[in-house]
Amino acid sequence: MKRVKKSNYAWLSVLSVGSVIAIWWLVTDGLHLVSTVAMPSPVKVVQTFFVKLYDPAPDGSTLLENIGSSLQVALSGYFLGLIIRIPLGILMAWYKKVDMFVRPLFDLLRPVPGLAWITVMITLFGIGMLSKAMVIFLSAFVACVVNSYSGIRQTKQVHLWVGQTFGASNLQLLLHIAIPTSLPMIMTGARVALGASWMALVAAEMIASDSGLGFMIQQCRGLYRTDVIIVGMIAIGALGALLTYLLSLLEHLVVKGRSSSK
Amino acid sequence: MIECKGLKKTFQSENGAFEVVKNIDLKVKENEFLVLFGPGQCGKTTILNMIAGLETPSEGIVTVNGKEVHEPGPERGVVYQTISLFPWLTVMGNVEYGPKVRGIPKEKRRATAQHYIDMVGLQGFEKSFPVQLSGGMKQRAGIARAYANNPIVMLMDEPFGALDAQTRYLMQKELERIWEQEKRTVVFVTNNIEEAVYLADRIVVLANRPTQVKAEYKINLPRPRNYVDPEFLRLRMEITDAVDKTL
Amino acid sequence: MIKSQKEKIQRVLAGLFSIGAFLALWQWAVVSTTLGQLMPGPITVITSFIQAFSVPIGTCTIQQHVGWSLSRVMIAYLVAAVVGIGLGVLMGWNPKIEAIFKPLYDIIRPIPPIAWIPLSIVWFGLGEMTKYFLIFLSAFSNITLNAYEGAKSVDPVLMGASRMLGANRTQTLLTVVLPASMPFIFAGLQVAISTSWATVVAAEMVRSTEGVGWVIVSAQDTNDMNQTLVGILAIGIVGFILATIMRGVETRLCKWNKSE
Repeated sequence: MKRVKKSNYAWLSVLSVGSVIAIWWLVTDGLHLVSTVAMPSPVKVVQTFFVKLYDPAPDGSTLLENIGSSLQVALSGYFLGLIIRIPLGILMAWYKKVDMFVRPLFDLLRPVPGLAWITVMITLFGIGMLSKAMVIFLSAFVACVVNSYSGIRQTKQVHLWVGQTFGASNLQLLLHIAIPTSLPMIMTGARVALGASWMALVAAEMIASDSGLGFMIQQCRGLYRTDVIIVGMIAIGALGALLTYLLSLLEHLVVKGRSSSK
Repeated sequence: MIECKGLKKTFQSENGAFEVVKNIDLKVKENEFLVLFGPGQCGKTTILNMIAGLETPSEGIVTVNGKEVHEPGPERGVVYQTISLFPWLTVMGNVEYGPKVRGIPKEKRRATAQHYIDMVGLQGFEKSFPVQLSGGMKQRAGIARAYANNPIVMLMDEPFGALDAQTRYLMQKELERIWEQEKRTVVFVTNNIEEAVYLADRIVVLANRPTQVKAEYKINLPRPRNYVDPEFLRLRMEITDAVDKTL
Repeated sequence: MIKSQKEKIQRVLAGLFSIGAFLALWQWAVVSTTLGQLMPGPITVITSFIQAFSVPIGTCTIQQHVGWSLSRVMIAYLVAAVVGIGLGVLMGWNPKIEAIFKPLYDIIRPIPPIAWIPLSIVWFGLGEMTKYFLIFLSAFSNITLNAYEGAKSVDPVLMGASRMLGANRTQTLLTVVLPASMPFIFAGLQVAISTSWATVVAAEMVRSTEGVGWVIVSAQDTNDMNQTLVGILAIGIVGFILATIMRGVETRLCKWNKSE
């Protein structure tokens, strides 16, 4: 296998992305092959982006307001959930008794997508932040718990024996050995959960909300403002990527200096 | 029949270029068992890979039977140190892989594969997966797989390095038996002096980075050899001393 | 993990106990507190669920709804699997293909399939094509990524071995890279079946006239919580069965990986 330097192919990447954008422009603005209602040109999307930053039309809030609203709900639902999910996963992995009781319920709830609960939540808590937060909690539930669980399970038996020979109590073993060992996996779970939370929020907003990015793109569909829809989609994607990226930086800090102990 | 002239290999790294192999001249006769011996990390694997065609020399050429080597191929069989059997294929699947990709019909290649499976002592394990085999058995399968392509040359890169001591002795004896049964030209890399003296017709001692030829020893002991024969032990001491001086 | 018989029995008992306790608590709360005004109890839900096999909700019985949702998933999932595995493996194996397609993939990927709903309705209308498109997107994303990583992490020793044994580039791709990536691909397929199921539910909740997602959402208009819970129950059961099937397939196909 020949060892070709990576930079040799960077130009191919640039060319590929560039030609897709060029084709996009050609098909819309250039040759008018497609109606601009169905697919706005890249130029229009960029324009709309700048306009929408401060223009509340047509859905009632500016882009920034929508972003703020979505982020607020997503993050609060996410963090609230972390406080419950991670300890639960840890407890399930460490104390067999807990696992035996909780696991069946967990397995039962697992295949149901968090979004499906939204009407239940609305009936119980009304339209508003709480019901959305519950949906987020449920959506991110699985990833977080499973990862925390696997992380604890991965603790090397050898390390535990060392702790026991030093006279550590069960609780101390958990706190000082098992949890630090599982930290990388817990972080991965938190990162995956963040992605899932973000997605769940957008979906929830599309169904039952009056603000936020999900709401914005859903509204604009009825109004046939595909340019705003695309701006919204890109914003959703970009924010999601940004959040996961930030969390993965945090992950690196935690995992620094550790070789993968599989 | 193998000839290396002026072989050099330089690798690029962040700290600049470093020369792994410096000016190797080697000649291997037909059906000769040549051992490349030296302390670990001294480019022996790189030399073997260049003969195999898995790496290209920065300078110099390798010829096998007069033809220059550019790429790996079935006429230069390789047995690796790390497990290189295809885990999703059975032993039979692995051994007949070479003939299969070269289009040899089922009857013929099954027969060939079976012959070599028997020869390395794995009869009965044709349907086993690599994950079910012990270390020694995996290496036997690797040898059978290389042999099944009727190679002119067998290149072996510390094939017994990962085995426990007992199995290692056993495999050395087995390899000797197999080689006597179907002779090929062999280039064998090892850092274990006993193994080298037991198996080799000729030992080429390589020095540390950059790797170069330091000494050559012809081993004229009759086969199969005896690990505690006085001449064996003397050779072993002589070569060990020679190597120690070069470190 | 080798579980002793005793432990197995303990687990089953504990499971029955906790589910039973949960259901009992639920039933009690419905009967004795204001929860009863908002939500039906488990007995009502299960009865309605069984009824739904013969009495239609909307225009279809519950199994017909499930059928609709499943058929949407199956078609789009299979297409996504073929395309995703193909593209992913090719990207992981050939740096040129990687350079061309990966950046496009990386740009599209962060946009959740849900966010595509409005756009795809504009493009494809309210019919089946929209749903196929969305399910395809969500499955494709995961499968491609996993196939890519699988192909990329194939041990170079194995590839060297195949070339040594005389295989050409295409043969190496088909007989070595592809089988070696199977564990990764399977992990991707498993995740994708779950996300596809979640996507079809979401898509049906946003806009549909039948399917399990619709069952949930249409109940809001009539404030029929019962119907919602029946829908959720159906979703959970089918989702569980799908995941179990996938796990079973993986165990059989990836036998050779098991001792790792």
